[in-house]
Amino acid sequence: MDPSEREKYQAAIHGDREAFEMIIRTHSRTLFAIAYGILQSPEEAEDIVQDSLVKAWKARWRVRDPGKFPAWLATIARHKAHDVFRKRRTVPLSEQVTEPIEPEPANTSALDQRLHSALATLPELHRAALTLRYFEEMDYRTIENSLGLTNGALRGILGRALALMRKQLRPALASID
Amino acid sequence: MATIHDEIDSWLVADLHGELSNSERNALHAHLVDCGACRKTHQEIKVMNKILEETLAPQKPDPAFEQRMLAGFRNRVPQRTGLVKLLVGLMRLRAAQIAAVAAVLLGLVQIGRMITGEPATAPRERERYAQVEATAPQPPESRPSQTGALGRSGGIAAGRPQDFAIEEPPASPAARSKFQREGKAGATTVAPAKAAQAETTESEASVASSESSANAEQAGKSSVETPAPELANRKLIRNATVDLEIVSFDNAVQKITAFANEEHGYVATTGSEKQANGKLRGQVVVKVLPESLDRFLQKVRSLGQLKNQTLGTEDVTKEYFDTDARLKNAHVMEQRLIEMLKTKTGKVSDLLQVEKELGRIREEIEKMQGELKYWDSRVQFATVTISLAEKDMEEPAAFLIRERAQLALYAPDVEKTYNEIKSLASPRVQITNAQLNRDYSGRVSAQMSMLIAPEESDGVIGSVKGFGRVENFQTQTQRIAQGGNAGAAGSENARTKRDKVDLNIAISREEQEQAFQQTSLRIRTSSVDEKAKELGALAEKQGGRVRSSTFNRDPDGRAVANVSLRVPMKNYLAIMQSLDSLGKVENVSVQRQDRTDAQIDEANAPADVSIQVYTQGNIVSQESSLLATLRRTLAQSAGAIMWSLRMIGVAIAFLAPWAIAIIGVIWIARRVIRARQSKP
Repeated sequence: MDPSEREKYQAAIHGDREAFEMIIRTHSRTLFAIAYGILQSPEEAEDIVQDSLVKAWKARWRVRDPGKFPAWLATIARHKAHDVFRKRRTVPLSEQVTEPIEPEPANTSALDQRLHSALATLPELHRAALTLRYFEEMDYRTIENSLGLTNGALRGILGRALALMRKQLRPALASID
Repeated sequence: MATIHDEIDSWLVADLHGELSNSERNALHAHLVDCGACRKTHQEIKVMNKILEETLAPQKPDPAFEQRMLAGFRNRVPQRTGLVKLLVGLMRLRAAQIAAVAAVLLGLVQIGRMITGEPATAPRERERYAQVEATAPQPPESRPSQTGALGRSGGIAAGRPQDFAIEEPPASPAARSKFQREGKAGATTVAPAKAAQAETTESEASVASSESSANAEQAGKSSVETPAPELANRKLIRNATVDLEIVSFDNAVQKITAFANEEHGYVATTGSEKQANGKLRGQVVVKVLPESLDRFLQKVRSLGQLKNQTLGTEDVTKEYFDTDARLKNAHVMEQRLIEMLKTKTGKVSDLLQVEKELGRIREEIEKMQGELKYWDSRVQFATVTISLAEKDMEEPAAFLIRERAQLALYAPDVEKTYNEIKSLASPRVQITNAQLNRDYSGRVSAQMSMLIAPEESDGVIGSVKGFGRVENFQTQTQRIAQGGNAGAAGSENARTKRDKVDLNIAISREEQEQAFQQTSLRIRTSSVDEKAKELGALAEKQGGRVRSSTFNRDPDGRAVANVSLRVPMKNYLAIMQSLDSLGKVENVSVQRQDRTDAQIDEANAPADVSIQVYTQGNIVSQESSLLATLRRTLAQSAGAIMWSLRMIGVAIAFLAPWAIAIIGVIWIARRVIRARQSKP
């Protein structure tokens, strides 16, 4: 890792507010992408990012290796999003069931709907990787850093994610074509 | 090894994302040319990628997202202000952490002190106290008294451990050196005044050498305050008594007054008494300055014939300075208590205690001041007591025989007897005092005094004796010389005359008379009620009566009657014998009071017999029944539970402060560890 980057994390861990605010600037989009990938809701994702940042500041002394700071941040965000997701699943089943049956207002929005439901079936890590890639057009290296993956693993995940999506959306795609 | 065909999805995706190296891309494209299925997949993936880009890109956060995040963070985690920031920064230093822990521990100790009321006195205070005491100017002779005073202050300390408990030995070096030097001064210097002078300067020097200037000031003041001992450092009280035989009393008193004035003294009291032979006898007390005492005595002696003279000196030096030192201690103590009242805001009970103590100290101070003043006045003037008696030239005039009689009378009706005796009054029998008393319990007694002409006395005493039972009759005859001196009493010319007889009578009810003999016994019988009645009849028959009787029957069927009889001594044996007929007599005890001093009519003296008549109750008492046993067991177990509850309470009260302290320390330690962990 870049020594200056490392120094920044170090300072933040020691309570340097400016360094921490710098990290907020550079990392909050990544965190948002992760949260969005899990929850698929921009508002909730934004709340998750906010909560994660505050929690990270309060618990910053727990990080021993400054190099792992970004990954640690991502873990916090993932856990928090997961908590929210779990809570959401306790919402009565009927609401979930009624969603897909809703009449689709337009073709594109119908596609959107299908895309989102397809995304929802993906494993969490896959979704996070997808959102990071497609939101921010991050290169693989940054994504690996953020999620703590190897290059091969990331490639596999992204490949599988797209393949799954492709299979699920094949009928819809055919109709577009 | 996995081929491109097997993992075509990830290859294609990586290609679309531009993450494939050149050689990888060439290999992929070569495969796509060969494999139709993969070509189809390639098309689908491309569409998929496009759809994802189109769908997800709009969901991406707007450009102000970071700013929002920052603002939210700043809102929720407020910036610390200067002082808190400084403190947080400080807490990262190890020294600061240690200091904080020490401060907390110290705080705990202080709180404990406040709660338990243990002293937190500064040692300086104690030192000053010791010095003030030590610098009280003392003549060398009275050193033991000084240590005595110290010991006594130790005694006071035992009562009030809070303030002076530790200062018992005069630990201050200044004080000790003073003692040594003082000893030297006493040995080398003969004149006590000089020694005292030396000693004061010594003490001042030694105090000046001590570190605290405030102490020096205090000590200096105390030595200025008491200059008196330097001038007259021995407290001697001189007094003299002179017995003189003079011709004329008045003349002598006049002359004594003149002498006293000459010597700057004064006559304190005079008293005179005219004797039977017309001569005056009296006493004059004169106060003169001690220096002129000897001269004054010389002059007084010339007034008449000296019969007796004593000259005494009382040395109160020790007591005087003893009290003086104690007075100073008390003053210091008083100041301390007043300060305590002003400053301390303790429990009300503590303040009350201090108030009480202050009151006691002030009382002591006043007492000691009074003592000192008294001694001062006695030391200032010597006391001369002059007894004057006019010379006796004549023989005794007469002898008077005075008879005094007294008797105690026990009568059945005090009031009646009292009135009967009163009716004896006549010109020759004067009743000088008659009192009839009835106290709150209804007991009546009377006291009478009468003066009886000598020729009537035998008759009156005889009739008084007839009113009741007489006890303790005493007469006393006294022969008094009238006029003249007693030494010439044997002369034949003297006439003898009988004076009136003084008779004192005390009348009380017979009941109150103490029994001459007391007997107590128990009679076991089957019918208590009946036998108790029989006892009454028996007593009547023997000339006695029942004084009290009680009857009681308890739930077990046991009956007890207590009967108390009083019979004349002469019938005592008869009644004892007749008791045997009532039942089985047990536990007989006889107590006899021999009153040797009194003359007693033994046959009629009262004898008391207390009899307890009883039956035996049921064999099994109710107390041992099943129900009672159950009840007792329950009561006992309830008591045991209450006791253990109390013990648990005590244990909690004992442990709780420790638990709180330990939790506090652990909490601080955890904070410290956290602060350390966030350090590099």
